[in-house]
Amino acid sequence: MEIDIQLRPGSSAAKISLATGETLTAEGGSMIAMSNDMSLTTTTYKKNKGGVLKALKRMVSGESFFMNHYEPGPNGGAIYLATALPGDMMTMELNGQGLVVQGGSYVASSHDIEIDFSWQGLKSVFSGEGLFWLNINGTGKVIVNSFGAIYPVEVDGDYIVDTGHIVAFDETLDFKITKAGRSWISSMLGGEGLVCKFNGKGTVWCQSHNESSFGKIVGPKLRARK
Amino acid sequence: MESQATEIKKGFDFKFEGKPDYGYITVKIPASETLKVEASAMATMDTNLKMKTKFKGGFSRLFQGESLFINEFTAQNAPAEIGIAPAAPGDVEHVYLDNEAIFLQSSAFVASGMDVKAETKFQGLVKGFFSGENLFLIKCSGQGDLWFNSYGGVIEIDVNDGYVVDTGHIVAFTETLEYKISKVGGYKSLFFSGEGLVCRFSGEGKVWIQTRKVNPLAWWVHPFRRSRKNN
Amino acid sequence: MEFQLEGKPSFAYIHVDLAPGETFIAESDAMASMSSDLDMKAKLNGGLFAGLMRKFLGGESLFINEFSNNGSKSMRLTLTQGTPGDIVQKELNGDSYFLQPGAYICSTPDVKVSIEWAGFMSWIGGEGLFRLKISGNGIVFFGAYGCLLEKEIDGEYIVDTSHLVGYEPNMKLKQQLSGSLISSLTSGEGLVTRIEGKGKIIIQTRSISGLTSWLNRYLY
Repeated sequence: MEIDIQLRPGSSAAKISLATGETLTAEGGSMIAMSNDMSLTTTTYKKNKGGVLKALKRMVSGESFFMNHYEPGPNGGAIYLATALPGDMMTMELNGQGLVVQGGSYVASSHDIEIDFSWQGLKSVFSGEGLFWLNINGTGKVIVNSFGAIYPVEVDGDYIVDTGHIVAFDETLDFKITKAGRSWISSMLGGEGLVCKFNGKGTVWCQSHNESSFGKIVGPKLRARK
Repeated sequence: MESQATEIKKGFDFKFEGKPDYGYITVKIPASETLKVEASAMATMDTNLKMKTKFKGGFSRLFQGESLFINEFTAQNAPAEIGIAPAAPGDVEHVYLDNEAIFLQSSAFVASGMDVKAETKFQGLVKGFFSGENLFLIKCSGQGDLWFNSYGGVIEIDVNDGYVVDTGHIVAFTETLEYKISKVGGYKSLFFSGEGLVCRFSGEGKVWIQTRKVNPLAWWVHPFRRSRKNN
Repeated sequence: MEFQLEGKPSFAYIHVDLAPGETFIAESDAMASMSSDLDMKAKLNGGLFAGLMRKFLGGESLFINEFSNNGSKSMRLTLTQGTPGDIVQKELNGDSYFLQPGAYICSTPDVKVSIEWAGFMSWIGGEGLFRLKISGNGIVFFGAYGCLLEKEIDGEYIVDTSHLVGYEPNMKLKQQLSGSLISSLTSGEGLVTRIEGKGKIIIQTRSISGLTSWLNRYLY
């Protein structure tokens, strides 16, 4: 499987070239275009494994209930995937290590990758951004997306990331929700409010922009809804 | 069809900036020549450009969401420069039509030379309605430059045999292609895949696809809109 | 202090590396990520009245954040803006520049940001009655939706009002009809800004008003 991410970081699309016999698992609603003889199967989880419970858990994380599995014809094929909002995409290669991905950021993966809902404790509820997470494990490739450009932060100790700016992080890291400034007043007035403080050793992939900030700027200027 | 990379220089002198996310076109109009530009797309211009508005008529345009007016900019006495910015965030592309035709998605027209004819084509209820997109395409034909835009970035695909494109991601395609709207996968996929209907192209030609489509953006922004208060 | 401006033009953001003892100022909510040892303090910039003017008239935040490195090694701060789009880095050496309200993001401490009366003609043109003035010495970052392009003007030029982001203080701006009276109404161009002078203007290749009028058609 070859993945080529084009038109980063604002209009990114992933071009995935598949050889016969390979399967790509993708979230619903992301196919732009594909070879003529590519086939599509829709299930609740992996191609040959059902899992309604797993599907429900994925929904809590902001993903869709159904997963699509694409398989090429006898001569291989290619498929282009997009995301709902403008933004970036990135391929991660996993070799047994685990990745925690923000709900809504998962796009697609190769067949041997496991995707499961990740319970991060009450931290998810109190962050104010409604953060939910997926645990991604296994061997293979995963494509994640973001609102904004993706940039990595190498953490060795402590690092602060604003809650709306996290795409994914290594399983080896832990985080807690805390205030941004030295005082609560400073944090609230400064507009930063609550932030995530990561600690440990590993990488956090951040997104440069924040969907709700943009939504709050554009939304009120649009035609009112009934 | 010649795209921007051609060696032979025909038509207007122009440059692109801000591709693929916020594409912008600067066109140099020679003295006494005229450029057609879609309404409200002018961003900057030299003071010696004279603007004339033409009603592009037909009720068909009302339904397709493209404005009813095209502006004609003529360079008076000296060459003039115009900067064109479409409203939708996304890419801009150019083709030089050499007595051939290209179909554009209904809101994709940006600008063209005077000898390019743009007419709306009703897709027919079946093709148009079930594809979920506008009922109309714009057929551009003749001789001259044509600039079109997209939502998201544009990827040009050479079709040799057949190709499948999600209907919301089609920007333009050459007249030489045949197309048919159908479902992708089985019936379970139709209802649950989130993919909806696709367009199956056959024949030989080019398709321009865009990397975003507008419906997910409209759904995403919905909770941020103000609600109309009832009296 | 070192800067890295990335993600241009679609999702521009800034990595600021502060050396020990250095301070950087940013508008509210501009921080995307930062070293946990950086001190962040919220302040009213220039007092309560100036702050309120900045918020309601200037499109900026009421409070600003002051980030200081009170440690012993270099610390990184990553800043962004609320909308996707481009960011421009500008150096001021005692000179000043006018910006559209809301464009200011962050700057070194000796840069002054103030609100100025832009005149009624500016309001009629849809730009609003006020504009931002940046002045002083230092580095300032500003941004807008769309790709930001710099254009050298020497004489006269016409710019669609919603696409003008910045211009030199010595330039004269005037609103005018884009064509004849009927043409201006039907063309979709309406009123435009005629700029006269010599210097650099900054235009944006998209506008929030263009985005909303395009998107409105697809809303239910």
